[in-house]
Amino acid sequence: MASADVRDTARQARLYDMYKTFFDKAEQDRRWNPLRDVPYEKINKEAPESLVVVAETFCCVESFLPDYVASGINVVRPFFGQAWFAANWAYEESKHSVALMEYLLRSGRRSPEQMFDLQATLMETKWEMPFATARQMTIYGCFQEMATFVIYVKQEIGAKACGDECLATIFRLNARDEIAHCRFYEDVVKVLLEEDREGTLLDIAHVARHFQMPGVGIVPDYEERIKVMREEGKVDRSVFLQKVFFPVLKYLDVTRQELQDATFKERAASSEERRTRAAE
Amino acid sequence: MASRRAELLSIFQKTATEITEREFPVIAESTVISELGIDSLGMLEIVGSMERELKVQLPDEALAGIQTVKDLLELVEKKEALAAGAGAA
Repeated sequence: MASADVRDTARQARLYDMYKTFFDKAEQDRRWNPLRDVPYEKINKEAPESLVVVAETFCCVESFLPDYVASGINVVRPFFGQAWFAANWAYEESKHSVALMEYLLRSGRRSPEQMFDLQATLMETKWEMPFATARQMTIYGCFQEMATFVIYVKQEIGAKACGDECLATIFRLNARDEIAHCRFYEDVVKVLLEEDREGTLLDIAHVARHFQMPGVGIVPDYEERIKVMREEGKVDRSVFLQKVFFPVLKYLDVTRQELQDATFKERAASSEERRTRAAE
Repeated sequence: MASRRAELLSIFQKTATEITEREFPVIAESTVISELGIDSLGMLEIVGSMERELKVQLPDEALAGIQTVKDLLELVEKKEALAAGAGAA
C-alpha cells in the first residue's frame, strides 16, 4: 500500500468499520478462556502419541507469536483498523498456544522441562515475514488462516475419533478464531481489489507463487511432523486447493483465469528484471 | 491418440521445467506430481501455463483431484476432445 493510502480517510474509515464489526462479534460470540472453558478433565491420557505430536506441532507454530506480532503489526501500523485488528489477533492467538500447552502438560505427555526446553529451542530461530508489503501480508493472512482453520477442523475429527474430548474442544475453539481472522483479511482484500484490482491481483498471484505455511523452516522436524498431521487428520494434497485456495478466491470474487493472467505478467516482469540486472 | 499423449507429456515436462526453473529426469505419465517436489499451487501454475499454450480451460473442480501426470493429461485430452466435438457440430 502506498503512503497516500494512509491519508485516504474514506479507506481508513472503512477499515475501522470492518475492525469494529470483527471486534463486536468477537466480544459478543467468540470470547473464551483457555484456563476455564476447556474440559481438561476429558483428556484421554491413553491417546496415541501421533495425536500428541499434532497438538505439539500446532503449539510450536503458535509459539512464534512474538515474531508474528512484532512484524505483522508494524507492517500495518499506519492503518488504524488493521493495526488494531493485529493487536486483537495477537490476543486471540496467544490463547491458542496456552490451551495447547496446558493440554500437553495436563495430559502428562510432556513435562514442564520438555515444554520449556522446546520453547527455548524454538526461540533460537526467528520467523521472518514472508512478504514485504501490508497488502501482500493481508493476502497471505487469507490463505494461511483458512489453511490453519481447515487443518484444525480436520484434526478435531481426529481427536474425537481418539476419544479426546479436551483436545477436540481446543481444536474447535482455535478453528473458530482462525476462520474469523480469515474473514477479516478477506474483507480487507476485497476493499483493496475495489481500489486497485490489477495491482491486488498481481499481489495475490505473487503470494500464491511463494506461499508456505509459517512453520516451514523454523519448527524442528517439520517435515516429519507434517507427515504425522496429514495421516492423523486425513489431509491429502487435494485439500489445499479444494478447501483453502479456491474457497478464498471465490469469496474474493477472483477467478483462476484472472490470477493466471496476473501470474503470467508477474513472471514476465521478473524475467525482465533478471535480464536487466544481468546486463548491468 | 497415443502420439497426442506423448506430445502432451512433452509439453508438461517443458512447462514444469520453465515454471519451477528446475531440470527433471524424464517424467513418466505415472509420475506423482508431488513427488517431483511440485506442490498444489505449483501444479496450478503449470496447469495455467498449459491451458494458455493449448488454448483449453480446465474446470477448477477437477484440478484438486489431480495426483499424477496422467490425471492431468487425461483431463486435457478430454477437454480437447469436447472442444473438437463442439467445433465439428
